[in-house]
Amino acid sequence: MGRVLLPALASAVLAAGPAGAADVPANGPPGASSCTGCHAPSKLADSAIPRIAGRKAADIETFMREYRSGAWPSSVMGRIAKGFDDQQTQAIAAWFAAQPE
Amino acid sequence: MSTRRTFLKLTAAAGLAPAVASAQGAAAGKVVVIGGGYGGAMAARMLKALEAKLDVTLVEPNPVYTSCPFSNSVLANLREIGQQEFRYDGIRRAGVSVAQTSATAIDATARTVTLADGNRLSYDRLVLSPGIDFNWGAVQGYDEAAAQKMPHAWKAGAQTVLLRQQLQAMADGGLVVMSVSANPYRCPPGPYERASLIAYWLKIWKPKSKLLLLDAKDAFSKQRLFQNAWAQLYPGLIEWVPLSKGGKVTSVDPATLTLVTEFGSHKAAVANVIPPQRAGAIAAQAGVADRTGWCPVEPVAFESTLRPGIHVLGDAAIMGAIPKSAFAANAQAKVCAAAIVDLLAGRKPQDPILINTCYSLVAADYGISVAGVYRPDKGQLAEVPGAGGTSPLDVVGGFRGQEAVYAESWFRTVTAETFG
Ligand SMILES: Cc1cc2nc3c(=O)[nH]c(=O)nc-3n(C[C@H](O)[C@H](O)[C@H](O)COP(=O)(O)OP(=O)(O)OC[C@H]3O[C@@H](n4cnc5c(N)ncnc54)[C@H](O)[C@@H]3O)c2cc1C
Ligand code: HEC
Repeated sequence: MGRVLLPALASAVLAAGPAGAADVPANGPPGASSCTGCHAPSKLADSAIPRIAGRKAADIETFMREYRSGAWPSSVMGRIAKGFDDQQTQAIAAWFAAQPE
Repeated sequence: MSTRRTFLKLTAAAGLAPAVASAQGAAAGKVVVIGGGYGGAMAARMLKALEAKLDVTLVEPNPVYTSCPFSNSVLANLREIGQQEFRYDGIRRAGVSVAQTSATAIDATARTVTLADGNRLSYDRLVLSPGIDFNWGAVQGYDEAAAQKMPHAWKAGAQTVLLRQQLQAMADGGLVVMSVSANPYRCPPGPYERASLIAYWLKIWKPKSKLLLLDAKDAFSKQRLFQNAWAQLYPGLIEWVPLSKGGKVTSVDPATLTLVTEFGSHKAAVANVIPPQRAGAIAAQAGVADRTGWCPVEPVAFESTLRPGIHVLGDAAIMGAIPKSAFAANAQAKVCAAAIVDLLAGRKPQDPILINTCYSLVAADYGISVAGVYRPDKGQLAEVPGAGGTSPLDVVGGFRGQEAVYAESWFRTVTAETFG
């Protein structure tokens, strides 16, 4: 049954195509959609956790690198940043940078 | 082709004309989500956000969702139950159809869901996030009637309120007894957060009372952090009895509030029994639960390894190393939604990375956390080595207070993201 439905769906989705370019879904590269549980991609709720949407990608990357090395102190980010390498971090940083502030 | 014809016939028979129209027209596919909790509500919403043309129906019997996260604070009078409640208006506004009824049967071959209100929905992809059900009787004598005397409060709502009332009505000096299941169960650190916050409340309001924590295991999540905090904040108040010292409760007598272990018996003034659990009953009905009672899934789109086309999220699923938490259910839902959009478009979903973080409150202003980062490895979700772990054992300054503040920020953010 999949065969009958899929071609139609594929063209419909591609035409609507949020994902268009680099195979990155609209909710971000791997890992990004987990960050948003704490760092909302848009202003959703009062939160003491700093906002990162719309920040410069280079700044987000610097924070993540320093959390990972321990150079910058943190409560939880050190433990999280250690799960991401430079390339993964770069993709996530670029995605958050592209979100509205 | 024949399957599709059946599918159309079925939806037509069920009187679901709009579903037929969307299946025949140029619009995208049809996704049914069962269970409007942290997993299901987020999945429904994210599916619609990623692909507005998808026809997404959320099936959930309750008009109001009562959150387990932060419900232990309700027991300690730090919050009211109303602050735990979330409605589905935001999800409807996002374009999701909400069917306020429960799913009673799933036909994985015909790809249909039968609802308690008599309707039948067809789907291209089904998402199941039904949470847990209890293995009534696994602790002898502990059934639904017993839970009215010895609440579990492990599904938040009336049970939470009942346990709080019992604590408040208890005489100062009364013994509170908690019984904790062996693994796996919903929210590994949850029982210890609960013990901490009940102790916090007892210390203020019933200072002669004690809490006995009977445990069917010998180790638990964030154990050293909890035990250090108990020694510091509640010395002598909480007694933890592990499995090897007779902690496993084998039977209960609700009439006398007695809990019997392998080593003896304890009479409680207030008893809280957290019983053994399994995936919500609809999972077994659908054929996606295995002999353990939980649902095996592959690690990219969380599609059942037993029935194709059915994705299982949250507590019901076996997610490799990822614990059963609201944080994780929410993270899985977002990954699954993106994967389903890809699959419906004939694309291969990308390998995900997931984070889990469980905050626990040990006192109103004392938070601790455990975090992990996970990725697919050999067909399972495995922890990324070198990442994650618990809050440090030794800290200076306002560290624990800060984590308590972050815990509440997480709660506000994740519930806004999920329910809007
Ligand atoms: C005391 C306590 C404290 C907790 N604290 C935390 C915490 O601080 N942080 C954290 O991350 N996690 C916490 N958790 C865990 C968290 O509650 C669960 O992991 C989370 O709710 C799982 O989400 P889910 O979508 O799998 O299930 P649920 O949120 O339980 O949602 C399941 C939904 O499915 C519906 N449903 C079931 N069967 C059907 C059917 N047949 N048809 C239609 N609908 C159906 C139910 O009505 C329910 O609304 C805590 C749990 C407890 C008990
Ligand atoms: C469990 C909640 C949580 C998750 C998940 C999380 N963060 Fe954080 N983040 C925090 C907190 C809390 C801080 C403040 C530093 C600290 O105490 O760890 C922070 C700080 C940051 C900062 C510094 C911002 C500033 O202005 O100081 C960046 C950048 C950041 N996080 C990026 C990320 C990225 C990227 C992810 C996903 C890979 C992520 N975070 C996931 C909670 C979280």
